[in-house]
Amino acid sequence: MRPFTLNYALPRALPTVVTPYRFDESLQLNVLPDGRPAVSDPDLLLAAGTTTSTAGSQTHFDD
Amino acid sequence: MTVLILTSEEDVTADMVVAKLHETGAAVIRLDPADLPGKALMSADYTRGDFEGHLSVNGHVLSMRGLDSVWVRRPGEPAAHAARPSVWLTAETHQALFGMLYSASVRWMNHPRNAHQARLKPWQLRTAHVSGFAVPPTAITTSPRLAQRFAREHGDVVVKSASGPPPGDPALALPTTLVGPDPDFSAVAAGPALLQRYIPKRADIRLTCVGTRLFAARKAAEPGQVDGRYGDTGHAWEAVPVPERIGKSVHEYVTLAGLAYAAFDFAEDEDGIWWFLECNQGGQFGFVELETGQPISEAVALWLSQRKDRRTT
Repeated sequence: MRPFTLNYALPRALPTVVTPYRFDESLQLNVLPDGRPAVSDPDLLLAAGTTTSTAGSQTHFDD
Repeated sequence: MTVLILTSEEDVTADMVVAKLHETGAAVIRLDPADLPGKALMSADYTRGDFEGHLSVNGHVLSMRGLDSVWVRRPGEPAAHAARPSVWLTAETHQALFGMLYSASVRWMNHPRNAHQARLKPWQLRTAHVSGFAVPPTAITTSPRLAQRFAREHGDVVVKSASGPPPGDPALALPTTLVGPDPDFSAVAAGPALLQRYIPKRADIRLTCVGTRLFAARKAAEPGQVDGRYGDTGHAWEAVPVPERIGKSVHEYVTLAGLAYAAFDFAEDEDGIWWFLECNQGGQFGFVELETGQPISEAVALWLSQRKDRRTT
């Protein structure tokens, strides 16, 4: 029998956004193609959705 | 001072704090336990009559003697990136890494022992009640009969997952949902169901606690909206003051829980009462800071960069 809670599960649209930054091992943070830290562009971070309360729901439940 | 951040490389919320720590001149080492063994190295020994330990990753080296604080932000499972990952290798690596870190005299945000307890939803509700929050009537049960009785007693009832969506199925979401009129509760016997009286709300509240600093944000809800995390209402998060009574309860809660960081979710009803929904000991703050401008990452960086002989939280 399927647990009651799972009767309320919904399909989730998987994000298709490719994050335009990469991890810099020296600086220990993510940088944009021009070398600026990704956190210097708040609009980009909001658009990427990687800081939202559901961003890590599949691997962490501390949202 | 030296700060260890346990998180994944793609965690840009951690970046917000790393950038602030760089500004303060604090030494930072960022490690994903998933990279141990492999990209990261660790070593601990008691061979000279005292404990010594070292960590290194990406050319950054850390001595346990010089470590002041640890931020457990969003780490991967130990050994998850190993060439041949296994449950056993994860357990061995967890023993090695966390056994070494627990042996060091450091400040934790948050200590994994306290974090483990703080994740348990029934414990949260009891602690919230003791701390003086308004808590909606809630039941977690495997009894269909008790679930049905709870629903009849409380009218509109929501069901929510205690642990989040099933891992390994990224295409599945489990938002908090109204169960609807007269549901069939027989499937409650197949797994614990967490049922809670529905609180009609006019806004969601996210209150972020960093040490003794509190940052509250409010987002107006649409009529009938249940789970504020899903669906775009067109409303934005706005900074709001923390009511004195709520502030006292937050401090009581984090003291009881032993937490240096916590993100509280409340539903604000039509009378302005903040109903406690949950407290996420590792909850996201990136979206709140980006939308409201509240200096949460700065507060985290300041807390982490206090030297370990200053035990105030």
